Amino acid sequence: MTLEKLPGEIRSLSLLRESLTVLRKELVSELRSRVALSSVGLFALTTLIAVAYQIGPYRIHEQDRPHLHSALLWIILFFAASSGLPRVFVKEEDAHTAKTLRLAARPAAVFTGKLLFNLLLLLGLEAFLVPLFAVFMGFAVKNIGAFFLVLAAGGLGLAASSTTVAAIIARASGSSTLFVVLAVPLVLPMLVFLIQGTRMAATAADWTAALPALRAVLSLTGVTLVTSAFLFPVVWHD
Amino acid sequence: MPSTAWSERTLSYQCTRRCRPRVSRATLGAVEGVRVEFRDIAKRFGRRLVLSGVTGTATPGKVLVITGPNGSGKSTLLNILAGLVRPTRGSVRYLLDGQELSKSQWFRLLGVCAPDMAVYEELSALENLVFFSRVRGLALPQELLEHHLQVLGLRPADLRRPVGQFSSGMLQRVKLAQALVHDPQVLVLDEPSSNLDSAGHELLAQLLTERARRCAVIVATNDPREVAWGDTVLELAA
Repeated sequence: MTLEKLPGEIRSLSLLRESLTVLRKELVSELRSRVALSSVGLFALTTLIAVAYQIGPYRIHEQDRPHLHSALLWIILFFAASSGLPRVFVKEEDAHTAKTLRLAARPAAVFTGKLLFNLLLLLGLEAFLVPLFAVFMGFAVKNIGAFFLVLAAGGLGLAASSTTVAAIIARASGSSTLFVVLAVPLVLPMLVFLIQGTRMAATAADWTAALPALRAVLSLTGVTLVTSAFLFPVVWHD
Repeated sequence: MPSTAWSERTLSYQCTRRCRPRVSRATLGAVEGVRVEFRDIAKRFGRRLVLSGVTGTATPGKVLVITGPNGSGKSTLLNILAGLVRPTRGSVRYLLDGQELSKSQWFRLLGVCAPDMAVYEELSALENLVFFSRVRGLALPQELLEHHLQVLGLRPADLRRPVGQFSSGMLQRVKLAQALVHDPQVLVLDEPSSNLDSAGHELLAQLLTERARRCAVIVATNDPREVAWGDTVLELAA
């Protein structure tokens, strides 16, 4: 046998299919345990009800609504996501499956699969929360297309940064506290642009209004993904 | 229970990429394979020196047994040999035909079963095996995986039950199946018969005898019956 014929190198499935295998495992595990779904959903619902009860749709001046609504929406989304997204790696360490996975799967497949899972979780959270937010807070949007694009870009950006930070903190004790501490500086610039983009979509029907913020979010997401591609194998194996 | 069928079946790596050759382990020579050479290994956790000056070789076709009292560093040494923990001093080399393997190549050829390496409790035994074979890039038919689990002593009725409901002995069999599913070149086993009944112990002995003809086996144990499997015994001091 030569190095060229190593069985380990004979990969019958592509990286994408290995990543989808990881994603499928995450989905099946989550649907059976429902830990992340419950924590994210309950956090989002509780926060939304508390905010809606205190502020409601009519206690803010009409001019200020887009500013405040945009900020509140992303604050709720970010902190709800923070309660469930780090679990993708933390649960592997807690359940002692991380070592088994580390030996079996390529780091890129693990990262991509878990990123896709977090993305789906965030998009699901947005699909659940945004209509409720619109109803409870009287949130109106002038450019629905731009708003959906901002939500999608925000979902990808938050999923990318959360997955990367989750991988870093998974082996530390007090990982949930550490997650917020590490995620905030990474996510804060993204949140600023997401709030700006949401406000633009809410106030202006013109597509060009939300574009600069959208571009900034996508750029930050791109930088996070590229950095993660280099960083993750080191974090995962060391 | 098809327990005698183990040696009759040979896993072959099925390749869906047309450019790649199909390789069967049956075509490999009896003692061809990966050698693990470790020299002057030392490991320190804080001020505590767990291992010092440990040297040895694991060769294809032989069983290397590592023994010693509790706290002598058997599991630490296995983790170092597996590439999961870095030694404080010393070196580990994985050689195939004299050529050194990279860590990713090595992981592909390695099967590990250890008490601190779990499988996914939300998934069934079969789902676990499908997952671990697919993330290793192998497209193994489900019937073969079912057979693989049955050879290790699991009843057909248990294959689709979540492993979280399994007894510790059954769980150990699933962990062994996970370590063997990709037909590894080097098999690393930490206390492999822990939680197994006498039938399970006999099955494991039969399995190891068959495996040891084709690959290098490293076993860490204090069980005198398992120490007897060793062609070489490395005794660690307390």
